[in-house]
Amino acid sequence: MAVTHDVSPRLDDLVVTAHRIRQAIESVIEGKGDVIRLTLTVLLAEGHLLIEDVPGVGKTMLAKALARSIDCPVRRIQFTPDLLPSDITGVSAYNQQTREFEFKPGPVFANIVVGDEINRASPKTQSALLECMEEHQVTVDGTTYRLDSPFMVIATQNPIEMEGTYPLPEAQRDRFTARIAMGYPEPSAELEMLDVHGAASPLDKLEPVATTAEVQALIEAVRAVYVSQSIKKYAIDLVTATRQTPELRLGASPRSTLQLVRAARAHAALAGRDYVIPDDLQDLCLPVLAHRLLPSVEAQGQRRMPEQVMADLVRRVPVPEAQAK
Amino acid sequence: MRLPLASGAATGAVAIALYPLFEGGAWFWTCLGVILVVTGIGVLGSRYTLPDWLVPPAQLVAVWIYLTAVFTGDKAWIGLVPTKESVLGLAKLLGTGFADIQRFAAPVPSDTGITLLTCGGVGLIAVLVDLLASRLRRAALTGLPLLALFTVPAAVASEPIAGPMFVIAALGYLGVLAADGRERITHWGRAVLVRRAPSFVAPRPASDAGALRLSGKRIGFAAIVLAILLPALLPTLEPNPLFGFGVGNGKGKGGSSISIPNPIVNLRGQLSLPTNSTVLTYTGSDSFPRYLRLYSLDIFDGEQWTMTARGRSEDRVSEGPMPAAPGQNMSLPVTEATTKIQVSEQIRGPLEFLPLPYPASRIRIEGDWRPDRDTLMVFSTQDSAVGLAYEVTTREPQPTAETLKAAPPAPPEINERYLQLPENLPSEIRDLARQVTQRGSSRYEQAIQLQEFFTKEGGFTYSLATQGHNGPALTEFLIRSRTGYCEQFAASMAVLARILGIPARVAIGYTGGSNASGEWKVRTHDSHAWPELYFEGTGWLRFEPTPTGGAGQGSATVPIYTRPEVVTTGGDEPAATPTSNSTGADLPNQSAGNRRDLMPDRDFGGVPVAVDEGVPVALRIGVGVVVVLLIALIPGLLRWELRARRRRSYARAAEDPAPLPHEEAVTPEPTGIVAARTDRRESAVAAAWAELDDALCDYGMSRQPSESPRALARRLAEQYAFDEEASAAMARIATAVERMLFARTPGDLGSLPGDLRRVRRALAAAVTRGRRIRAALLPPSTLLRARRLGTRMLDGFDRLENLRLRRPARRDV
Repeated sequence: MAVTHDVSPRLDDLVVTAHRIRQAIESVIEGKGDVIRLTLTVLLAEGHLLIEDVPGVGKTMLAKALARSIDCPVRRIQFTPDLLPSDITGVSAYNQQTREFEFKPGPVFANIVVGDEINRASPKTQSALLECMEEHQVTVDGTTYRLDSPFMVIATQNPIEMEGTYPLPEAQRDRFTARIAMGYPEPSAELEMLDVHGAASPLDKLEPVATTAEVQALIEAVRAVYVSQSIKKYAIDLVTATRQTPELRLGASPRSTLQLVRAARAHAALAGRDYVIPDDLQDLCLPVLAHRLLPSVEAQGQRRMPEQVMADLVRRVPVPEAQAK
Repeated sequence: MRLPLASGAATGAVAIALYPLFEGGAWFWTCLGVILVVTGIGVLGSRYTLPDWLVPPAQLVAVWIYLTAVFTGDKAWIGLVPTKESVLGLAKLLGTGFADIQRFAAPVPSDTGITLLTCGGVGLIAVLVDLLASRLRRAALTGLPLLALFTVPAAVASEPIAGPMFVIAALGYLGVLAADGRERITHWGRAVLVRRAPSFVAPRPASDAGALRLSGKRIGFAAIVLAILLPALLPTLEPNPLFGFGVGNGKGKGGSSISIPNPIVNLRGQLSLPTNSTVLTYTGSDSFPRYLRLYSLDIFDGEQWTMTARGRSEDRVSEGPMPAAPGQNMSLPVTEATTKIQVSEQIRGPLEFLPLPYPASRIRIEGDWRPDRDTLMVFSTQDSAVGLAYEVTTREPQPTAETLKAAPPAPPEINERYLQLPENLPSEIRDLARQVTQRGSSRYEQAIQLQEFFTKEGGFTYSLATQGHNGPALTEFLIRSRTGYCEQFAASMAVLARILGIPARVAIGYTGGSNASGEWKVRTHDSHAWPELYFEGTGWLRFEPTPTGGAGQGSATVPIYTRPEVVTTGGDEPAATPTSNSTGADLPNQSAGNRRDLMPDRDFGGVPVAVDEGVPVALRIGVGVVVVLLIALIPGLLRWELRARRRRSYARAAEDPAPLPHEEAVTPEPTGIVAARTDRRESAVAAAWAELDDALCDYGMSRQPSESPRALARRLAEQYAFDEEASAAMARIATAVERMLFARTPGDLGSLPGDLRRVRRALAAAVTRGRRIRAALLPPSTLLRARRLGTRMLDGFDRLENLRLRRPARRDV
């Protein structure tokens, strides 16, 4: 366990670097501080991000901006119904010169993979992503290839068009650390967007502000953030509450507990703290847990979305309390 | 429909308890009529759903008409409708009733006036009960008027209320409650829920039968505990309360001379027994009753009669015969008699003085008992006569009227001691003494005339209703009211005798009691006081100025030698049969007579020590108010104390130099010290946080359990418009708490006391003044804590109840 005095300098670095990345992204996407912050949190928590919103709010732009601001290989996959698993993982091709099968790495071999409109692909293709996301490795023809670190999948999905889409199954949704919605920009932000984007794409001007090694160091620093026993208990309380409330058919998985705490670490680190407080968990509960929950029939009947149920639960679960002596 | 009937039944049941107050039962039927009238109106009102405000006036009018018809029917129009004459008649009857009640003691004859009073009272109670139960639907409150009615016999009658009476009355009340319950349930079934399920995840279905039963049990439990504990804690009027103080034990000054400081308290303790229980029984060698004397009071200071008693060890009754009776000539004919006395074991407290007939010549008793030479009182400082059996031989002088008339003046030492009177005795009393006895030539004749004055000529009334027995009270008794009981009679006669130059003292003890199959029973109601007068040659003789028989002290008897006919006619008749015939005549009266508890009044007949009761009423009320205020202040004080303790805790930690994080890690301090310091800082932060929490609670500001310190700080600052400084202080506190709870090291505390003070001030500024006062005097946080304690106790009870003391059944054969 790292000691206090060598965490703090790294934490300072982290805050500075994170701020740089944030500014870089914000130069492309205006007025979405929260979303960008959450994106960074997921990155530092070694998780994957699912961006769900209507077309044209800048989902892909966000993913691209993040990828561009870090000096690392970025691949983009446009999911279509005819996309095959091998189109993602890569294929073994016969090399006539060497007379051997040679592995041609697919687009997944990158530090940041942007999966556009992931719900348009067939379940078979979607599931090809599963192994990559969870285990950071690809197995083709019996050979396992490790993926680079950091590895992050940023998938976007469109909730409006239902025809010809295959909604992500629960198992796959569970693999995404967080789901966010972009939301429409503020009028002022939109105005600025018109001004800036009118001339040229700001993405072209975006220069990388951090290296892969730096990001890796940041991830290491996040791992050292302290989580007290009471906070762990609080996280378990929150997750347990989703499993016990009659309003939900499916609660959050143990994997989600893990991801919640991990994200909370990153959240705390981004705030310059080397310890996690209940507010970190409360802020993250909605993006981290809500997309894994299934409402019960009653809740559906009352038109209660899992997000509302989750918010209620956060308001009801007591925070760890000081014991006066 | 059900409720008015039940109310009427309850009033009737309680009215039965009035029975012992009356002679005869005619009053009861009249009362029953009143109750029926009221109930009838009530039933009609319910049946035809009259407006609730209309029924009680209708009932009152009906009661009036009923009373008019029954009591002044001849003056009313067609025997029913009240007229002016009938109203006047009723008023007059009421007046006589009041007067009669003042005059008679219970049981009173049920004459018209008293019956009218009773009926009116019962009618009013019936209307009240009906109003509470049927109209206002507050059935439990009917207990108050019913209790008021029930206390009348309890307060007036000397006998305790019989058990069956209480049961009947209680059944009546329960009937009202049950009727109310039935009525309520027929309208709607409502569940009583005491606690909400605290679980946030899955609230239990709260309305199951188990929860209901549980809350029922809890309410019952709490009620029983309160009902038992509260009365035990309240100061009682009983002579021996739960936490009584022992009276002086009467240890002497040492040596052979023993003085008794405070005998009257013991006597009072016995006589305050509420029941007319047997104090002692005795059998004599002849069939005459004998007055049994406990104390002889010889000192009169103008207000009280007190006594001195000295016992010498060489006089112990076990050593030989008693000292000779003072002044009793050897040549005087005496009746020698032996009396065997058995003292009851029920007497509370030690009985240090023996009840003895006078004059005892020899006593056979176990223990260290010593006589006082002058008065022949026998007492002990070590032993108690409770439960003792002993034998007394008496030599009663049988003087003739001639002997007494010719008695020479008493010796100087007797005169000196028994003629003392205070200087400031009112002259009217001296005049009265001379005036009453102007016909008597000898001291004996004067004494007889004094007794006649009290019993016949003076027009004295025997009553317990006398007030104040200090100096003016003597004048009051002798000149003005002429109403009192044996204490006043005995004391006054002794005073008058002393004025006339007859040595006199006051004796306190028991009359001869009543005969039951050869054995004489002396009861608490037989306690008595009488004067003893001294005649040289004969010694001390008992006189009886108190009226005897039904209108006086029931079992008192007039000694034969004091009868005027003895003096005037039967001059040479030997008074060989002392008191037998009078007793026979008096005893039958006793059962029918007004038997009352006789409590020798400590102001008059007692010793000075007993007077220190006189705390002024105003002072008592003041003390009571102060006590109530103090009790009301307890929550506030508790809160204040808690706050002070917490403040000490975090103020001390703030003084502690907080080590910088790296310093703590680099310097190889012994871990124990670091741990202790960390621990202390943690407890300081916890104390500060708890204090803030309580302050919020006191000011009525809510705090969600899911609100983190940071969120709370943010919300408070926004909601109550904190200024910059207070917001910063609040944020600092929140950060300190956060670090303490969730970080590796607690970190710097900052100025915790100052911050907390600032936040408190900001919070206080946000609430009203009333709220602030309430927070200081009756802090909700303390009350909440008390409530939590109560809940925990209830939980404990539940756990007790759920214990199953059952052996696992084994069936393997």
